[in-house]
Amino acid sequence: MSFPTLPDTFVAKHAAKGWPVGLAGVALVIIGSFMSWSFDRQILGDLSVYGYPGGLQILAIIAALLALALLLMVKGPLYSVMGHWLDAALGLRALSVWLLIYMVGILVAITTESSGLVNIDPGGWVSFVGALLLFAGSRVIPLRELRDLSETKVPGWLEIAGIAVVMAGILFGAAYALAREDAWSFVLFLVFAGGVIAAMFRTGTMTWFSHVATRQKKVLTLAAFAVAFFFPFTQNGSDANMSIATSVLIFAATAMGLNIVVGLAGLLDLGYIAFLGSGAYVAASLSQSAFATIGWKPPFLVVMLVGGLVAATLGLIIGSPTLRVSGDYLAIVTLGFGEIFRFSMFNLDGNNGPNLTNGPNGIPGIPELEIGNFNFGDPHTVLGIELGRFSNYYFVLLLLLGFIILVFSRLNDSRIGRGWIAIREDEKAAEAMGVNVFGLKILAFAVGAFLAGLAGTLKAHQDGAVSPDQYIFLESAFLLAAIVLGGMGTIAGVLIGATLLKLLPEKMRFFSEYRLLLFGLTLVLMMRFRPEGLVASRRRKLEFHEEDEELALAIESELVEEAK
Amino acid sequence: MDQFLQQLVNGLTLGSLYALIAVGYTVVYGIVQLINFAHGEVFMIGAFGALSTYLLFFDGQTGVWILPIMIIGAMIAAVGTAVLMERVAYRPLRNAPRLAPLITAIGISVFLQELVRVFYDRIPFADFPSAKQRIPFPQLDVVSGTAVQIGDVTVQRSAIFTIGALVVCAILLWYFINRTRLGRGMLAVSQDPDTARLMGINVDRIIVVAFALGAVLAAIAGVSQGLQNNNIDFKMGFIAGLKAFTAAVLGGIGNIQGAVVGGLVLGLVESMATQYVPGQFGGGTWKDVWAFVILILVLVFRPQGLLGARVVDRA
Amino acid sequence: MTVTETVRQPAPAFGEPVLEAAGVTMRFGGLLAVNDVNLTVREGEIVGLIGPNGAGKTTFFNCLTGLYKPTGGQVRFAGAPLAPKPRAVVRAGMARTFQNIRLFANMTALENVMVGRYCRTSSMALTSIIRGPKFRREERATRDRAQELLEFVGLGKSTEHLARNMPYGDQRRLEIARALATDPKLILLDEPTAGMNPQETRQASDLIFKIRDSGLSVVVIEHDMRFIFNLCDRVLCLVRGETLVEGTPDEVQSDPRVIEAYIGTGEDEDEERPQDAPAADGDGEVTP
Repeated sequence: MSFPTLPDTFVAKHAAKGWPVGLAGVALVIIGSFMSWSFDRQILGDLSVYGYPGGLQILAIIAALLALALLLMVKGPLYSVMGHWLDAALGLRALSVWLLIYMVGILVAITTESSGLVNIDPGGWVSFVGALLLFAGSRVIPLRELRDLSETKVPGWLEIAGIAVVMAGILFGAAYALAREDAWSFVLFLVFAGGVIAAMFRTGTMTWFSHVATRQKKVLTLAAFAVAFFFPFTQNGSDANMSIATSVLIFAATAMGLNIVVGLAGLLDLGYIAFLGSGAYVAASLSQSAFATIGWKPPFLVVMLVGGLVAATLGLIIGSPTLRVSGDYLAIVTLGFGEIFRFSMFNLDGNNGPNLTNGPNGIPGIPELEIGNFNFGDPHTVLGIELGRFSNYYFVLLLLLGFIILVFSRLNDSRIGRGWIAIREDEKAAEAMGVNVFGLKILAFAVGAFLAGLAGTLKAHQDGAVSPDQYIFLESAFLLAAIVLGGMGTIAGVLIGATLLKLLPEKMRFFSEYRLLLFGLTLVLMMRFRPEGLVASRRRKLEFHEEDEELALAIESELVEEAK
Repeated sequence: MDQFLQQLVNGLTLGSLYALIAVGYTVVYGIVQLINFAHGEVFMIGAFGALSTYLLFFDGQTGVWILPIMIIGAMIAAVGTAVLMERVAYRPLRNAPRLAPLITAIGISVFLQELVRVFYDRIPFADFPSAKQRIPFPQLDVVSGTAVQIGDVTVQRSAIFTIGALVVCAILLWYFINRTRLGRGMLAVSQDPDTARLMGINVDRIIVVAFALGAVLAAIAGVSQGLQNNNIDFKMGFIAGLKAFTAAVLGGIGNIQGAVVGGLVLGLVESMATQYVPGQFGGGTWKDVWAFVILILVLVFRPQGLLGARVVDRA
Repeated sequence: MTVTETVRQPAPAFGEPVLEAAGVTMRFGGLLAVNDVNLTVREGEIVGLIGPNGAGKTTFFNCLTGLYKPTGGQVRFAGAPLAPKPRAVVRAGMARTFQNIRLFANMTALENVMVGRYCRTSSMALTSIIRGPKFRREERATRDRAQELLEFVGLGKSTEHLARNMPYGDQRRLEIARALATDPKLILLDEPTAGMNPQETRQASDLIFKIRDSGLSVVVIEHDMRFIFNLCDRVLCLVRGETLVEGTPDEVQSDPRVIEAYIGTGEDEDEERPQDAPAADGDGEVTP
């Protein structure tokens, strides 16, 4: 959020007032939050009790306390501890803007959910005025020159503690967000989270964190997986959110596989969903479902392998034109293959060809996955917490995602990864330097397809049915969008992109009508304004900004820094 | 023999439709080396433009004199869309890596489809039906109605309109490109944009003209499609666009005559395949598959197309 | 002759022929870009390739390195026939640089050179994923060798710099390091001093001597006559795709035909080239 800043003379004149006004704002927000916000107790999870703040009110209090901490860093007891390092004033500006948006959102939500402004209780107005004061105050608090936070040398355990705090925040945030039943609460929570993240960016905490993340890569990775692993335990046996979570995982795993093709090798594959589909069809056909056309059911690991290999074979076929075509033409070829896959699955119903796929009806009634004696359909109790059907699939999918990420990152950081970058940079020069251009391209297709095939076999069992209409072009476009949105060639970015693309439509059902509209618009806007994605890989940033000399120098100094 | 002639007529009709759309791909590609993936949507919006014109001003009437006005309405909608997308989405990306405009095109394509689907019946001051289902396309005198019988061959009136439209458009197009200043400017830019710019040609304007030109023909194709199928829907642009792109590649992308020839050949192949491919893999259900197979084979083995084209190394 | 020249080294005895190109011909449609050119390069020899613009020097390089498939003639390398495929050429031991520097701009200097090691290393997908000791050994060796080569060309301090940020002269040297990383027996340099000042040019010729002294043969395309006559053991002058003169620098330098070729035909050269034919001199890609 960047608002036009006030003229310097104005700021200088009123600088002294900023701090007390801000402090008053904080106080009002907190006091208001302990009062009733809404007359109607049915909406937004009951915000009508005096003395006992509801969920959304607690969020307001947390935001206010954060603002208080920042205020005390500007002037007060915390100044000597943190004031030199954190850009408290700038962070305060960002946080106060978001808090104001949050309060306005609350007022709008109450007004629209109940009938009219009368439903807003005094507490709501008090907190709103508080947010307004904080906003006004933060505008006139002068900014200062600071030392670079990334230069700080804090002990290793503190860095790891920082990672732990952030990860715990993500875990509780995700659990809290998923638990919101109504769309308004969900959106308001997103505003709150946006405010916290914006404040982290503006204070410089995020820069520090990204440096810590590169230093403590292993700890971060482990922590991230621990968070993902513990997520089902926060759900208390509720399967509703776990079903969303598993579909997010399948989507993320597939997107990560596509990320190898698009993000690393730089080949645009518009028919990638076909690989997921072929894996799913293999698993369905080998499941002894009543509708399956093959009556053989090998152990699931064999099924996975077969699914992966079938997909990889298709990948080799789809990739083979790369010998002769590249760029846009290749994208169209892959799109054509994707459509052929869908039409074939649709047509191979016994009337228009051999009966292999049961045509448009697909193969329903796929039995639950069973590994040894463990049936994935049964709930299990671990540590007193019930884990339902979706939680079972969730853990397997998490393993798969972990495996795909491992493949991705290790290939990226190897001879092969360097070859891919070289091809992306200058194919002719790479060839003249002895890089096996065709071999590497087809390898990307095959590996990507294999991984999607693996994901497909799990998807078939998790869904319990396969049908051709699950594997349309739009799904390929979605996968691509997850990568573009998140950041091509990155792991964190693609995970974020995939999560956002799956989660938002699930949680914002009232929005479903406009879902695709926004999706299309997002793609266009991203390419226009931030083609490297939310989380940009350095390399992609450079590629998308060929003319930006400053960026290149900045990235270079980072590289030199890291090499030391 | 009659069957053959019948399929010939069907193929030419289908092919004319593809050809009209394919010109849009080829003109834009020839000038900015961009595959305007969203061109199929321009075709769809053309059809809706025609329908809207009819519903707004002539609802219930059937006179054939309405047709030209509908076509003008279609053109306004299509050209407006195409020019806007060029200006807003593509122009800022002209020097971006190749991935960017392609992804943008997918975005525009989805966006336009959804725009029509969600908002068509919510346009203020107009009482349009919802576009969530297929919408019946107006039937007019002369161009729709009972088919013409020539021997044992049935020729739909709309087919005559489509083929006729292609012939007229092809002649006008030839004249425009070879005999007008603007057309020659287009040729110059497609040969060498930098030199053309130095020679004082306004390249930005030429690019807009290319998009508009493609949109004009796509609009006519949209009307033809509506007359032939008796209905239109928001999804009609996707497959038609892909087929037309195939046609453009088949003829040699960047080559305008090629687009016309490619369209006709593709249409003929498709209808002949429906008739003559034996066994279970024949018939209508597989015809789209055959079209894509042709697309892939052409891209792989003869990317310069049947008539040949300047093939730029698209690395 | 001025005093700035490096003292010419006594001509060393040359070994076996490394490269034997016989009757190389390249035709683009109606244009004969290279016509029946013969070239033999022996071990430890530095050969210069000169000629006016459009004489077909770079096209000849492209024919040798497999970027073009010559329409006629044969190329033998180290005694065996050489397939006109870039990868086969590099594996056989012939590496090149480009006239209009083609580095991997967004990679660091070190990474650029490591890409050059690609054809001499073998870790494939599975090895890279499993990361056994062999993989780690090879990766370390690649890195060390790349660093060593950067130091060899004098870029030891720029390891982590992005290629696109480097000064022009350093980019040329980086390209040489990248070519050396393929362990060549023969290196082809396409205008290695284009755009350099006299001091950089002198450094470049020192570097080329150093490369030769490490046991490689070198073929250089250059326009800077003083540079080339000072550097080379033998010089080949191409005009309109054909060999005009071949001999020692002294012989070529004093040949009146060479002088005429440079002064007399500069003007009409461009006009004779058909409009649609690809530029004969330069790296413009052509899809035949």
